[in-house]
Amino acid sequence: MSFSPPFENLPLQSNPSLPVRAEGHPLPLLETPVMSPPCCGFLSQYTHHHLVTFLLTFFSYVLLHASRKTFSNVKVSISAQWTPSVLNGSSPAYSPGQTWEENKLFEDSQEATLFLGALDTIFLFSYAIGLYVSGVIGDRLNLRYVLSFGLCGSAIVEFLFGTVTEWLHFYNIYFYCCLWVLNGLLQSAVWPCVVAVMGNWFGKSGRGFVFGLWSACASVGNILGAFLASSVLKYGYEYAFLVTSAVQFAGGVVVFFGLLSSPKEVGLSMTCESAMSPVQNDSDSHRPLISDEEYAQEEEGVMCDGGYYSVQRSDQDQDQAPELGDPPVAIGFFQAFCLPGVLPYSLAYACLKLVNYSFFFWLPFYLSSNFGWKEAQADRLSVWYDVGGIVGGTVQGLISDFLGKRAPVLAVSLLLAMGSLVGYSHSPDNQVINAVLLAVTGFFIGGPSNMISSAISADLGRQEVLRGSQEALATVTGIVDGTGSIGAAGGQYLVSLIESRLSWMPVFYFFITMTGVSLLFIGPMIISELRSVCQEMRTRVHQL
Amino acid sequence: MFTFVTLCITSLLFGSSYQQMEFQVCHLCVGSLQNGTAVGYFCASLSGRVEGRCCWRQQGERASIVGLDLSNCSLRHIEDLQEASTAVMIDLSSNPVINISDSVFQGFIELHYLRLPSTLQCPGGNASWEKVTSDGVVCLCEEQKDACHQDGNMSWNCPENSLCAPDGPGFTQCSCTGEYHGYKCLREGQFPTGLVFGILGSSTFLASALLWYTQRRKAKFT
Repeated sequence: MSFSPPFENLPLQSNPSLPVRAEGHPLPLLETPVMSPPCCGFLSQYTHHHLVTFLLTFFSYVLLHASRKTFSNVKVSISAQWTPSVLNGSSPAYSPGQTWEENKLFEDSQEATLFLGALDTIFLFSYAIGLYVSGVIGDRLNLRYVLSFGLCGSAIVEFLFGTVTEWLHFYNIYFYCCLWVLNGLLQSAVWPCVVAVMGNWFGKSGRGFVFGLWSACASVGNILGAFLASSVLKYGYEYAFLVTSAVQFAGGVVVFFGLLSSPKEVGLSMTCESAMSPVQNDSDSHRPLISDEEYAQEEEGVMCDGGYYSVQRSDQDQDQAPELGDPPVAIGFFQAFCLPGVLPYSLAYACLKLVNYSFFFWLPFYLSSNFGWKEAQADRLSVWYDVGGIVGGTVQGLISDFLGKRAPVLAVSLLLAMGSLVGYSHSPDNQVINAVLLAVTGFFIGGPSNMISSAISADLGRQEVLRGSQEALATVTGIVDGTGSIGAAGGQYLVSLIESRLSWMPVFYFFITMTGVSLLFIGPMIISELRSVCQEMRTRVHQL
Repeated sequence: MFTFVTLCITSLLFGSSYQQMEFQVCHLCVGSLQNGTAVGYFCASLSGRVEGRCCWRQQGERASIVGLDLSNCSLRHIEDLQEASTAVMIDLSSNPVINISDSVFQGFIELHYLRLPSTLQCPGGNASWEKVTSDGVVCLCEEQKDACHQDGNMSWNCPENSLCAPDGPGFTQCSCTGEYHGYKCLREGQFPTGLVFGILGSSTFLASALLWYTQRRKAKFT
């Protein structure tokens, strides 16, 4: 028989701002919500647990992206380490040989750059494959363990890749490739888990805004990685790897000791958000934001998206879905794939992530080769793209929350993104104008990209069609991001191919085409959501 | 056991003050340094110690070769004189050597007086020496020039963070300046490992302890 904790009998609506503990007493002052002015009904549902979870998951992904950015930023130093000195003309080799000629892993920096690009592609492919697998694993195992394992394991591999090989002066192509494949697989464990944890803690109301703010983690990670790399690089690139992998390992340890993967772990069982946030009282909050019309008929009082599901099959879960009597089962991979909305959003995300990651990887190179700016300047300018992405993700998430619909916001943003790409490709040789255009482009591309990978994945993983009987959040996130990463991996190769055969303008045309294609993929969703918006407006007009 | 101990003691005794026992260049041919030769005179003026054909000078803890006299040794080939790279004066005259590679003298930054059979050219060419005289039997190269500052040429172009330094007659090397070190002089300074890991370790411990106390302490075991 299942153990029923005593607090289940207490009316949970009695004091919505104070979560109740298992003993049945209101929590001591330590546990009062972080922000509780009476006007901010939206924020009063959040406790300090929410804040800590937000920050821990945020910084897990920040550290991951920081280590990737470190690799991008030290590429010049690594290729200098792997090649002998460049001799101008017919002058004899520099002496002494140990200082100038010894390392001949690659003959010149062009070959080294090709190999580094190949490493990026290998990483992205193994990351994509790992995402499909990790999403499935995350829904079956303890999210906290998988997350810590991914963070710490990836940190150890990066340490081996960058620091140990340099200390031992062991340079070997196959060793580097194997390590980077392993790194991709381990890092892929992080994203589905953090989105699942966030989905567990933050329900439908305000999800767009919270996730928009939270998905700034990738961009913050880029900025942090650039900062770390540039400050430590002078000691040697191996120390850049040492610092980022040590910090990442420390992050894994902190997550292991401090993360609560779902509110159930401290007994914060939730009812619908309508009880917690009086602002949103209408029936709209009961419907997932991407629903088709037929699911709009669901009006079950208990079955709301706000239900917090823990990942394990525990007996307490029976209280969450009393009408079914079954604990949530982790969904199968193909079932998750066939959920409505997963396939079009995955394909759209593949195109968007291609454009996004190509900017991420190639922008400093484009800036320094096209305008002749120095690498440090180009690195600093590329931060503006990330800043635009952060603002875009947050603002667009907020707008989509107010509208109650996500696809129209995406559509408008993608159309404007195509325009801003055209504008950026004709950017003059002026750093200020270039930075502004970069920020605008980042706003319009980064916004939808962030939304699809976080808020929309959470929506998809918590649809009503699952009816609370299936745990799909991490799996769906894994599928969406995995498809996206395959697109990004293919894009790396294509961008370098186009650039070497043609020039940079065709690369921009390629980006614009990809943005248009992603708009096409979510076309059906846009049409159905616009139709439901029109219907709602009509019914409201009739009601007046 | 006894032989092992003896060997150990022997090597310890000889190792400290008689490092030069292994140097083959001093015994390339029989005999020892003569007083009448240029090298011998030079050695006596420095109060150096003669051993085989080498003149040793003690400088503090270390001893180094300052003179080498291989004249009249019936040497046909001279390939490796690296053990005597600190020599100031070398005499190779009266040897039936036909040619000698320039690289034999790479690293001989102290060399200022070189006597060669007249069949040979001064290493690095005549432009690398201040004074080159030849009397048909012996070629004398004196006062090696700094190859980094050849008159008429620009000083040697070394890559970033390195400076040109002489490396023997006609040779230059690029050695790292200032705090730079490592491959291609890319690295600067010493990484403050202790400081970084101290801060990181203590903050990780504090954060983990704090978060465990506030978050997970009451968590149900899952």
